[in-house]
Amino acid sequence: MATSETRALDKSIMIKIISVCLVFFMMSYSHSKAQANSAESESFNPRPFSNDAFTVLKKQKLGKRWLMVLWSLDCPACFKELTLIQSIQKSAPNKPLNVVYINADDSDEVSFERRQVLADYEMNLFENFYFAEGQGDKSRYHIDPSWYGELPRSYFVDEAGKFHGKSGLLDKALINQWLLK
Amino acid sequence: MKSFQKLLNFTFIFLVTAWLPNSQAVMLKHEHREMKTKQEKPASSSKCLNAAISCAKTVTSAFAPNGDLWRLWVHQDKLIAQVSKDNGYTFSKHKVLAIPAEKISARNENRPKIAFDKAGGIYLSWATPREKKYTSDVRFSYSSDYGKTFTQPITVNNDNLLAGHSFNEMLVSDNGDVSIVWLDGRLSHQLRAQGKKSKGSALYLAKANFKNRNGNRIFTNQQLANDTCVCCRIAMDYNQQGELAIFWRHIYGDNIREFALLTLEQDEVKPKQPYQVSHDHWKINGCPHQGGAISIDEENRYHMVWFNQGNVGKGIFYASSDDQGKTMTKPISIGDLSAQASHPHLNKNNDNIDIIWTEFNGAEHLLMHQKSINNGKSFSKVKLLAKAKNGADRPFIIKKDNVSYVSWQRPKQGHWIKAL
Repeated sequence: MATSETRALDKSIMIKIISVCLVFFMMSYSHSKAQANSAESESFNPRPFSNDAFTVLKKQKLGKRWLMVLWSLDCPACFKELTLIQSIQKSAPNKPLNVVYINADDSDEVSFERRQVLADYEMNLFENFYFAEGQGDKSRYHIDPSWYGELPRSYFVDEAGKFHGKSGLLDKALINQWLLK
Repeated sequence: MKSFQKLLNFTFIFLVTAWLPNSQAVMLKHEHREMKTKQEKPASSSKCLNAAISCAKTVTSAFAPNGDLWRLWVHQDKLIAQVSKDNGYTFSKHKVLAIPAEKISARNENRPKIAFDKAGGIYLSWATPREKKYTSDVRFSYSSDYGKTFTQPITVNNDNLLAGHSFNEMLVSDNGDVSIVWLDGRLSHQLRAQGKKSKGSALYLAKANFKNRNGNRIFTNQQLANDTCVCCRIAMDYNQQGELAIFWRHIYGDNIREFALLTLEQDEVKPKQPYQVSHDHWKINGCPHQGGAISIDEENRYHMVWFNQGNVGKGIFYASSDDQGKTMTKPISIGDLSAQASHPHLNKNNDNIDIIWTEFNGAEHLLMHQKSINNGKSFSKVKLLAKAKNGADRPFIIKKDNVSYVSWQRPKQGHWIKAL
């Protein structure tokens, strides 16, 4: 074979080897991205609250402090709390806050509005639940029979899993101290 | 070399043709899953997509002067009504009212209102949510022919602001004088526009008359109070002088949410300061979602019930006043707090004070009743009237002549209506 032909052949082989590597890389990248996305949409989409899910949640969270916040679309003070937590998260961007949200509107009619709020207040970073259609009072009673439904309702859960409930908009310093200390 | 080249060619072509459609499929699958989670409707909603009353979350009931019982609810942005000629034993087929469709707030403390004059007139008012969160308008429509036709809805609040106007209550006199009160956000809207902080809503009153030829058909708007709780229903009744008495949850001091009472005396240029009626010290920067109720008797005694969770007073309370709220009897605790006694309502009929409320035992809602036959000096034993399995609306007492009827909507179970 002539030298120039050999060089041309080498070049063509190189190009093909690089292309094959590129294709392999892109296949594995798109696959892992899809996996990550599907994992995100499966864990963080709002899930219906149930007694079993609550038991699992409490067990999972044992050993660390966390905050459970119940909110409603009809509660202006709740949105102030969502904004508060959003801003606290922004100030500690590398450390996801140990927060769980529960939407207390037990109506299927509001599922679109609910998702909009989750997006607007960056709540998809956390686990979200909602009270299933017509199950609001039962779920509320299961969480805390001494809570009368006033909102926002926040539960400071300690490392031992003990719930301390507070009604109304919380003080930013209190949330900061509980979540970031 | 040639076979290596062939192998390389083959691998390259194979991978490209295998990857391209796979990556598209992966993207589509991801998009489809996202779309699926966005559009997916849980199975339970498909069970209640019809206009039947059992699908309604809230129901409004009222007796017309001719003795008919009307009940009203919302389905797909339309008002639906049924009429009973036998005090609720049987009802006509439900009728979609001839009013153009628009969004109507009909959950929890908010629901449309119906009232009547003595000439076959029917009056409707409701709150229509608007484009931005917590904005809405109070709307009104009138029928002069007992519900056959209705006027084009008009907006009652006259500020032209994209702000909150909701939790409307309405009374109509025999003569057709319409009084509508609601929680109004125009003042806080203006404060926020100036970069200032706002606290609560304002209490507004609108008046008009559509029945009389010379009646004023443009609603006047008058501010009655400022700094009200933004999410609790208002209660209203006429006293013996035909004056309006309004009872609502107010914000006092640093978020203390107590009940206030105001009587609009005739010939009064400016409303007086409201009286603070409850002193339970409920400090909460949040939404109780629990209003009260008022009923004024022939002796002009004001009877009231409310719910609080203050550190001084917790639960449902009943009290009365002979001087429009300046002084009150000592509040009596009603209902079982440990059973979540909530959402009280009441009516005074002759010597009877009937109080109703709901309790919850973890599985079912219970409709409870207690009565006094000596003007509140003592109360009878508590009675269980009915149960609800799938959640419950607030209960209300409506009057017909000297009888109190209880109206209680039980979603997916049935509307309960019976005389006490």
